[in-house]
Amino acid sequence: MNAKERLEQVIDNIEKVIIGKRNIAELSIVAMLSHGHVLLEDVPGVGKTMLVRALAKSVGADFKRIQFTPDLLPSDVVGVSIYNPKDMEFHFRPGPIMGNIILADEINRTSPKTQSSLLEAMEEASVTIDGVTMQIPKPFFVMATQNPIEYEGTYPLPEAQLDRFLLKIKMGYPTPKEEMEVLNRAQSAAPIEELTSVISLNELLELQEQVKTIKVDETIRSYIVDLSRQTRQDSYVYLGVSPRGSIALMKASQAYALLKGRDYVTPDDVQYLAKFVFGHRIMLRSEARYDGITAEEITERILAKTRVPVQRLVGQ
Amino acid sequence: MTSIRKNKWFMAVLYLLVFFMLVEWLTPVIVLTETGHKALFLIFIAVGLLMAFLRVPWWFSGPMKMLYILWFIVYVYTGNLFFTSEAISFLRNDFSLNLSALMTQNWAQTTDVFRTVLFFILLWMAIYLIHYWVSFRLSIFLFYLLTVIFIAVLDTFSPYSGETAIIRIMVIGLLLAGLLYLARWMEGHRVVERTDKMALFAVPLVFVIAASTAFALYLPKAGPIWPDPVPFITSFSGQGGAGSAGSIGRIGYGVDDSRLGGSFIGDDTPVFRAEVAEGQYWKVESKDIYTTKGWELTENIGESFVYGNNDTVDTGFVPDEEELETALLSMEQEFPFVLYPYGTQSFSMEEPLDYQYNTADQRFETYQNGEEFEPETVEITFNEPSYSLTALRETELADLAELPAELGRFLQLPDELPERVGDLAAEITESSDTVYDKTRAIERYFSTSGFEYSQTDIPVPEADQDYVDQFLFETQRGYCDNFSTSMVVMLRSLDIPARWVKGFNEGELINSEGDTDIYQVTNNNAHSWVEAYMPGVGWMLFEPTIGFTGASSIDFDLELDPTDPEQLDQEERPLEEDSDNVEEEETAVSSGPSFLDGAAEFISTNRWKIIWTLVAGALLAGILFKIRHKWMPKLLVTYYRSRGGSPQRFEKAYLRLLKQLDLYGIHRRPGQTLKSYAAYIDSFFGTREMSELTEAYERSVYGGDAESVDWLQLRESWENLINRTSG
Repeated sequence: MNAKERLEQVIDNIEKVIIGKRNIAELSIVAMLSHGHVLLEDVPGVGKTMLVRALAKSVGADFKRIQFTPDLLPSDVVGVSIYNPKDMEFHFRPGPIMGNIILADEINRTSPKTQSSLLEAMEEASVTIDGVTMQIPKPFFVMATQNPIEYEGTYPLPEAQLDRFLLKIKMGYPTPKEEMEVLNRAQSAAPIEELTSVISLNELLELQEQVKTIKVDETIRSYIVDLSRQTRQDSYVYLGVSPRGSIALMKASQAYALLKGRDYVTPDDVQYLAKFVFGHRIMLRSEARYDGITAEEITERILAKTRVPVQRLVGQ
Repeated sequence: MTSIRKNKWFMAVLYLLVFFMLVEWLTPVIVLTETGHKALFLIFIAVGLLMAFLRVPWWFSGPMKMLYILWFIVYVYTGNLFFTSEAISFLRNDFSLNLSALMTQNWAQTTDVFRTVLFFILLWMAIYLIHYWVSFRLSIFLFYLLTVIFIAVLDTFSPYSGETAIIRIMVIGLLLAGLLYLARWMEGHRVVERTDKMALFAVPLVFVIAASTAFALYLPKAGPIWPDPVPFITSFSGQGGAGSAGSIGRIGYGVDDSRLGGSFIGDDTPVFRAEVAEGQYWKVESKDIYTTKGWELTENIGESFVYGNNDTVDTGFVPDEEELETALLSMEQEFPFVLYPYGTQSFSMEEPLDYQYNTADQRFETYQNGEEFEPETVEITFNEPSYSLTALRETELADLAELPAELGRFLQLPDELPERVGDLAAEITESSDTVYDKTRAIERYFSTSGFEYSQTDIPVPEADQDYVDQFLFETQRGYCDNFSTSMVVMLRSLDIPARWVKGFNEGELINSEGDTDIYQVTNNNAHSWVEAYMPGVGWMLFEPTIGFTGASSIDFDLELDPTDPEQLDQEERPLEEDSDNVEEEETAVSSGPSFLDGAAEFISTNRWKIIWTLVAGALLAGILFKIRHKWMPKLLVTYYRSRGGSPQRFEKAYLRLLKQLDLYGIHRRPGQTLKSYAAYIDSFFGTREMSELTEAYERSVYGGDAESVDWLQLRESWENLINRTSG
């Protein structure tokens, strides 16, 4: 069974519980395969939690959920050392971060201190408590959610932190037909409980390695660079995509190519993922907000005007 | 940098070729400027190239070269082999001398040493530039082209003969360009790891160049299409002049007519302006001795008459006294003689002048108080003489035998004159009965026998050739001197007294004020014509040159039989023909004859044909270009069928298809990927081939997996699509 078929199985599995969101499932897997994390931005009740749980179950991973609240402390996330009077020693009690797949719900509700503890863990894939560094088990995948409606009493993530997320995805409402199907399934037993894993964690790790072998041609690399540079030159943009954003786009494109059963990246992959990679990395000027321009629209515009490389580069 | 440039052997060959090329640059400069020490300059170039080749760092090579330049100066200017104290002080003095000269912008004070340094710096720059072209750009074409142009220009305009140099340059340049192309090709196809096989690749190149050079050397070569342009250009810059034997002269009035022939170029320098009722021929003088090469004047004969203002003069052409006209000439070039029209009665000028008329050459020289005077304006009273046709009809041949003795000199002919000239004259005039008819027959002969008016490419007769004979029987093309001289000689061979007249024709009508026309006469209007003596009538003007009208006015006083219109026709026809030709010829003349004159004449006669052909051609080309998507596919399909099935071929074919689809009207937006474009194309045509081809293309280009493409198999899909675009 090749990579594409195995990953399709995972997606099919997720589709059993999340209806009509195949692209979201795909993007989640793309992020997971390229060692990235996802920021899900949407209103409550559209199936964010269900998606993550289904994904965790499908790959046989350990699923943890952290509900972020204003009073949550960093130790509640990464864990704490507790003194055991029996053997008169401190024992580390790992926090919920020490899992494979983490749902960080409503991440913008907690204090920046707690946020940064999570984000540091995401970046380093390890936590340091009392001077001891502990590796978080692999694979490690965080899916954070934030509610775009309620800003009251929230701590919006700073720009630097947003850069840590590979993709920002919006789930969106299902179509009426899909929603009917959701209701239909909700009548019977909760389908999530019936899900079984279709690939093992080791297989997932193997696939992650495979992503790195996907060829990114020079033309594609220059295309990615072109796109990133365009965001920095746009008059509406206050802060464009960083070189880390370019790397993210390349890695995500590689994972997507693997998902589509190719061993090379095409401009289509780049274009498709640019919307999700650039969305949270472009900081707009206030003029853009007055004109009602969003980062997604700017990305679209840049994609439309940047010349797609269609010819082999010669003599370089 | 990839390894092709690191292949020492290959680069060494390149630099060696570059050295030879630079030698070709240097040699003419050294030869032409008479510079010595060519070898030392060559060593400088060689060292410079060697350093570039070995990639010697600049901090070493720069001072080394400067040291060499200083040594050169010391050695050449002081004779010292080493930097002795004397040499160093020489350098120091020279440096301060030049520096102060430069500071004060006193360019003339800079010494030869300074110029030598400049020349070295120039060489240095050339070496650096070529080094850049060869090892960074891998392209030499521009330099190659410049070298060829440089040598060609020098060969044409300077004493330097580039005959063999151009061959050497061709061979070296082709070799260099070929090797560099090979290098570029190898880099482009990433086959640089096989550079050791370079020699193998270069073998066919060397063979082809050697074979084609050898072949070209032994092929017969056509002569130059254009004459040597140098005389033209030098004459244009005002260094030429009439009568400079054997080459192109500048048109205009000249004194020396002893050697006629050669081409002329136009010169519209104004000579004078004439205010007169009707354009006139302005006579200066005539000549009587034909020398087989040109005209001379019998010396010390004839009488001189001196006239004053308003005295009635006798020119041998009696004015019609009924209605006298006046002509006012404003001279723009001044001569110590006056130009006078036929039928001149008197001169009048503001200053008191003497007009000395010499019967030998019929020239009016102007004197004031015994000294030559060049009048600025001349006022002439005249009336064109007219001739009674009745009298002309009575010019019996027998009368020629009883002419006055002083007309004998107008029958002179050189002994060397070939007999066929006289035979021709006799033949032309065979059916004419009177002297006048015979003269007219000869005058008319040129325009009816395929002679051609031209000022270019007219030969000067060789030592054993006769000017008239050459014109009549060999070239049959020429300008006024050819026509008039030939007519005079032919008339004389028939015992009709004739003389050769020089002057100006009427010029260009530039303005009219009431009855007075103003003519501008320039050097282009310098002209020569014929006067022939009609027994019982006197001297009469004839104009044999094609395209000119200067014939004497004839009084048609014959009592003609109305049933015989032919007679009248015969008289009138030449006049009409001439006037038809005038306009055309004048445009040809005023456009200025040059070495392109042949082409210009062809263009002016076929102007409309050429314009319409060009317009139609351009239109056709435009239409073909506009609808190229209709016919291109047929060509492309045949072309790509005839080619192999290599992966590169597929990529080219695919790109060609994209272009074709764009022409068809389905444009790909800049940000549109090939895949989405292909999907659109397929939905448009109802096909699926485009997506198939695109997938293969993407695999080839983005996947770097060109080998996986089976072009031969995909070709059918490609042909199917490209054929649709022609619909």
